[in-house]
Amino acid sequence: MVPFKYNLRSLRARKVGSLMTIFGVGMVVWASIFAFGLSAGLDKTLEIAAGPLDVIVMRKGSTSEAVSAVSDEVARDIIALPGIATNRDGRPLAATELVIFGYLPRRGQTQKVNVAVRGVLPVSRELRDGMQIVEGRDFRPGVREAIVSRAMSERFQGLGLGEEFEVRGGMFRVVGLFEAGGGAVESEIWTDQSVLAQLTNRTGAMSCVQFRAASKTDQERLINRIKADEQIDLNAMTEEQYYAEQAQQSMLIKIVGGMVAFFLTIGAMFAVANTMYGAIASRAREIGTLRALGFGRFSILLAFLLESLILCTLGAVLGCLGALALGDIRTGTMNAGTFTEVVFAFNFGPSVLLSGALLAVAMGLIGGLMPAIRAVRMRVVNALREV
Amino acid sequence: MMKYLPLILHNISRNKIRSLLTSLSIAMSLFLVVTLSSLLSSQDEITERTKVHNRVAVLHEAGLAGRLPIAYVDRIRKIPGVACASPMSWFGGNYREEKTQFPQFGADARTIFDVYEEYQIPAEQLADWQRDKTGCVVGSLIARNKGWKIGDKIPLKGNIYPVDLELTVRGIYDGDSTVDKEWLLFHFEYMDEALKEHYERIAGNAGIIMLRVESQQKVPTVMQTIESAFASSDAPVKPMTEKQFAQSFTEMMGNVRGFIRYTSIAVVVALLCVAANTMAMSLRERTREIALLKAIGFSQSSVLGMFLSESVLIGLLGGVVGALGGKLLFAAVDLSKILPGLGMFYIPWTTALYGLALAAGIGLFSGLAPAWRAANLSVLEGLRKVV
Repeated sequence: MVPFKYNLRSLRARKVGSLMTIFGVGMVVWASIFAFGLSAGLDKTLEIAAGPLDVIVMRKGSTSEAVSAVSDEVARDIIALPGIATNRDGRPLAATELVIFGYLPRRGQTQKVNVAVRGVLPVSRELRDGMQIVEGRDFRPGVREAIVSRAMSERFQGLGLGEEFEVRGGMFRVVGLFEAGGGAVESEIWTDQSVLAQLTNRTGAMSCVQFRAASKTDQERLINRIKADEQIDLNAMTEEQYYAEQAQQSMLIKIVGGMVAFFLTIGAMFAVANTMYGAIASRAREIGTLRALGFGRFSILLAFLLESLILCTLGAVLGCLGALALGDIRTGTMNAGTFTEVVFAFNFGPSVLLSGALLAVAMGLIGGLMPAIRAVRMRVVNALREV
Repeated sequence: MMKYLPLILHNISRNKIRSLLTSLSIAMSLFLVVTLSSLLSSQDEITERTKVHNRVAVLHEAGLAGRLPIAYVDRIRKIPGVACASPMSWFGGNYREEKTQFPQFGADARTIFDVYEEYQIPAEQLADWQRDKTGCVVGSLIARNKGWKIGDKIPLKGNIYPVDLELTVRGIYDGDSTVDKEWLLFHFEYMDEALKEHYERIAGNAGIIMLRVESQQKVPTVMQTIESAFASSDAPVKPMTEKQFAQSFTEMMGNVRGFIRYTSIAVVVALLCVAANTMAMSLRERTREIALLKAIGFSQSSVLGMFLSESVLIGLLGGVVGALGGKLLFAAVDLSKILPGLGMFYIPWTTALYGLALAAGIGLFSGLAPAWRAANLSVLEGLRKVV
């Protein structure tokens, strides 16, 4: 085997060239991680949102809460079904919820976008694990007060603590900010259900029913029960399913992200190949000497592949560090499943960084292969004669 | 400079693999930058070109989710300056078992092709549609992708509205590149009568009203008249020009422009490093030649010019393949087959040329430092140098 030190020293001998290649690979890895982080962040937000035992009941055919309707009588029947988990007071963990579209401008913009406004019952809070008010207080029932997530309050006009915003002609005051571990709830405005129902003239029917099953088997049984019941005539699904379908709707982001990574990686492969061809051309005599010393073809092939891998791995490290240096970027886009704004943070988690690093490894291996093959195919005599 | 062209070309082709790899990595990355930019610029160009039709969209003040009474259509028609108007009620149904939706609008069959005057449909097909209450017309692109012919039945399952539609294709419309050929248009009355039977409360929603103004000059006054005419009603409205309406959709996607810009900058910086590295490599190998050129009387500026032209040419080659090749590729491939809704996507000439200029710029800047060094090389040292 050619000693590892040989590779390191060779790279150091061509300092500027090596650094430029490392930097180039680093930028490509960074851009790919950026694109992956965006779609992974959106997926993660929707994934966190789902409680494993939670079930959502909507009108048949509806794919989002805002366009669904469930009549109050049917909702009462569902909430009374056996198998629903109960809280400490013995009340079922089930609630009707009313979701409507608000229409608000982001900070610094005039164009308004759709946001979800959720009218809730006291028990709704217990259905969201980890949701807590971090600033201000909870809204009081019966008055036009609302709580919003910290992320939403930073992103939208009129949603700061103490500020007022308009929904369907009614002015609401923001009295509290909450956090919920980054889930989809953090893209919503919460207010009292009866207040919202009155404002929007909704009587006799809310949007959906959400409940927590006591166990996995209860969950399955309840879903089948509700779906089969012709009296109820509604569709039930686990929250996991509900959010997975929404994540699926955001295909465009995934496709664009994949395209960025794909074309940049191929481009970078050419660049790495170029650097390695250059390295090999200028070291023809060295390679001849190595061969003359008795190093086999295979170990020389490995040595050059290793060298291009080192280049790319250093680039990958640079790219990952660059992505981590961006820190916690929050952004928002339209959730194609619900047609409302979803706020989320870029996800630069281990799996995203790893996929960026894997791209770099692919660049190193594929980009380094052809030059390395050329190196081993040199004839010793010719190589030694080279100037 | 022209007389040096053969020498420049010879220099480029002496290490064919290197020039090719550099050009290809520039081509790959530029293809990406140009494609990403075109996601926005193609839309901008289309809306700019449709401006001649003086169309205005009237929305509920609460956005797309607001209910716009169907009676508004007739009131808007009577406003002076309005040539014609039609409701465009988004149905958002699912076709068979397909999860993704395509645009389906409930419209006025008598006026919709007057509002969209550049959309072409054979007169007898239009008449057939107008006669058939449950008929519909579809765009040529979606008809081809789904294999629909005149007379085919299209069942649509309601999602936003709790009614299902059973439609028959009566016509297929077509048009130039600014025409969206992925729509399905059906009679607004057909949907509305089905709704009235069971769901009186949500019937009569025009969604948006699309109208055409007689002339460019009258657009602002017509918009103002419409806004004030409904200002004090239950459903106040917001008129937007067709361009503003299209932009509001881009806005919903969030900071798309920003992300495309960041990615493009990263790509360009990575390319600069990579290309500069290659240029430096190829000039280093020619140090003695350069010294020789200067020794026989070539001036500093002609050496500089010669090497800069070399790197610009390599960059341009990549630009031609990446940017112009991309344009041809998207002109030849029908994207709507892979990604419904992107049927209108293309790379505008301005964007392709901008990509070409970017490629030349990358070539120029990457050659700057190496060429400068070559031009200022001391003849003595250069001749003495062993590479």
